[in-house]
Amino acid sequence: MRVDAILNGRVITALAMLIIFATMSLLALGFPEKARLMPLLVGVPGSVLGLVQLVNELRRSEQYVTSDAEAAKMNKAERSMFMWIFLFFFGILGFGFVYAAPLLVFAFLYFGKKESLQVGLVSAAGTWAVLYGVFELGFEIPLFPGLILEWLLG
Amino acid sequence: MDLSGIFDALLTIVGSPYHMLLLLIAVPVGMFFGAIPGLGGKLGVVLAIPFVFGMEATAGALFLIAMHSVVHTGGAVPSILFGVPGTGPDAATIVDGLPMTRNGEAGRALGAAFGASGLGGVIGALFLLAVLPLLRPVVLAFSPAEFFLLALFGITLIAMLSGDSLIKGLLVGFFGLMMAFVKLDPQTGIQRYTFDMLFLWDGVDIITAVLAIFAIPEMISLGVAGGAMAQVDKVTTSYGLAGVFRGIGDVFRHWGLSIRTALIGAFIGMIPGLGGDAASWICYGHAVQSSKTPERFGQGAVEGVIAPETANNSKEGGSLLPTLFFAVPGSSGMAILLGAFVMLGIQPGPGLALTGMDIVWVLIWGLMLANVIAVLMFIIVAPSLGYLSYVRGNLLIPLVLALTFLGAFLSHMAWENMALLVVLSVLGYYLKKYHWPRPPFVIGLILGPIAEDSFHKAMALWGPAFLLRPGAMIMLGLTVFSIVFYIWRLVSGKNKPEQTHAG
Repeated sequence: MRVDAILNGRVITALAMLIIFATMSLLALGFPEKARLMPLLVGVPGSVLGLVQLVNELRRSEQYVTSDAEAAKMNKAERSMFMWIFLFFFGILGFGFVYAAPLLVFAFLYFGKKESLQVGLVSAAGTWAVLYGVFELGFEIPLFPGLILEWLLG
Repeated sequence: MDLSGIFDALLTIVGSPYHMLLLLIAVPVGMFFGAIPGLGGKLGVVLAIPFVFGMEATAGALFLIAMHSVVHTGGAVPSILFGVPGTGPDAATIVDGLPMTRNGEAGRALGAAFGASGLGGVIGALFLLAVLPLLRPVVLAFSPAEFFLLALFGITLIAMLSGDSLIKGLLVGFFGLMMAFVKLDPQTGIQRYTFDMLFLWDGVDIITAVLAIFAIPEMISLGVAGGAMAQVDKVTTSYGLAGVFRGIGDVFRHWGLSIRTALIGAFIGMIPGLGGDAASWICYGHAVQSSKTPERFGQGAVEGVIAPETANNSKEGGSLLPTLFFAVPGSSGMAILLGAFVMLGIQPGPGLALTGMDIVWVLIWGLMLANVIAVLMFIIVAPSLGYLSYVRGNLLIPLVLALTFLGAFLSHMAWENMALLVVLSVLGYYLKKYHWPRPPFVIGLILGPIAEDSFHKAMALWGPAFLLRPGAMIMLGLTVFSIVFYIWRLVSGKNKPEQTHAG
């Protein structure tokens, strides 16, 4: 069987769960008795179940083989969406909600989804109106200003 | 029963223009999310979270419950007009709703759905009101031993929410529990899995976790699918208000069926894990079974619309019971609502029966009023509902992303939560993609601290003998029963083909 057929997303997800439980259980061993009791009560059976699920997924690997073209198309779309999630995160982290979010909304629609300029601009303006108008002005909630912007503006 | 408290709560809502305004905003928003296939009420509540942040608990909770309670009312619209269920539980409505549309009775079907939903919602709330007096003495009899075992019982209910795979459900639930242990240990004060990060000292923020596990994965999926909502045919049948009113009249002409299915739905809602799908299909089956002319079903029988729609909305009243008083959400929608309540400062759990009944009464009235308002609003907009098929998913994705990041930030005013959001979202997406049930995560996250705290208290008071207390033994019995029930369900349904497609 091909390695990429064995290491499919289902197997990797099960493996990730196993790693999380096993790591957290091992870390719990370093805690005082009272602090480690519950994490171990959950973590150890979790590790065992994770292992069982991993074995189940490995045994079923062949059932889930998809065509290369289909998988490549999906992977590309997923990568693109994850890229946008990270862009939103770093954009907002750097420049705050009021400035970064409308720009990112515009960029997502205009560049990412090839929407018209009008749709992009109206959506960006709407986002800005909600964030600045509703939250900052209306609700008087100070939104995150962004680490870079905060540093630049002192 | 505290009658003055109950009616004070009603006055709190109807006597306050602010609360009424919130209801009038929440209802159409909830209906909109229900009516767009692919969105659903979960996403609606998730998006509302930033908006209710900072609101007083009563107002915020009222807004969210009103929004959540009318989602299925909206969900009936695409089921009837396009044959695409707006939400999962609305699928049963298609069986007779779509044939009615094809028979030129779209207005009547919509009217029956609105009337049945409204009546179901009101009866569901009354059902909750009726069973609450039985709850208080039960909760008063609870000690830490029973609380611990109650939490354990709640965690075993994960099995009920696990779909075809108990192991996956347990793993996700256990993962939620492990996330609940990320904080300063309440017994020793040492850092547990916090890696010197201050924002984790109080624990993983529930709102951030819920947004990561539910909201962002939905948006990634929508983006991967090309931003297309469910493919729907445009309305082929015109209809007028006369048909809508005729449908509403049908609900009262079949009053026996309406009341029976509303009560069945509310009862099913009380049982975590059975959920809306079961309620609507069981009630549809009941309508067929109790009909003198069962051969009409599937051809456009109005009872086939009434039964599932009453059940869909009445179950929300029933499902509030385990959600509010045992912190065990009956469905993924309730799981998100539970997280939002915690953010608002409402701590679901047995303590609510002792100290938080004022807010419970408000929620019950909110549930009733929202359902009534929804029917009135739907009657007004009924002739224009066909336009819903033009809503595009692409436009929603970036706005939802911005609001999701905002929700994560606002919940603790900590930018680090946005980083946590991204990390958990990646896992959340793959859980969704590979059909791992996600609601158990929230159950674990919420019940984890209750279980740990109660366990240490029970051990300090009685040692391991706490398991022999009568209340504890009853809870243990229930836990065993839930496991046996799951196994029975698994065995009885093992002939069903397993879902194996990805995505």
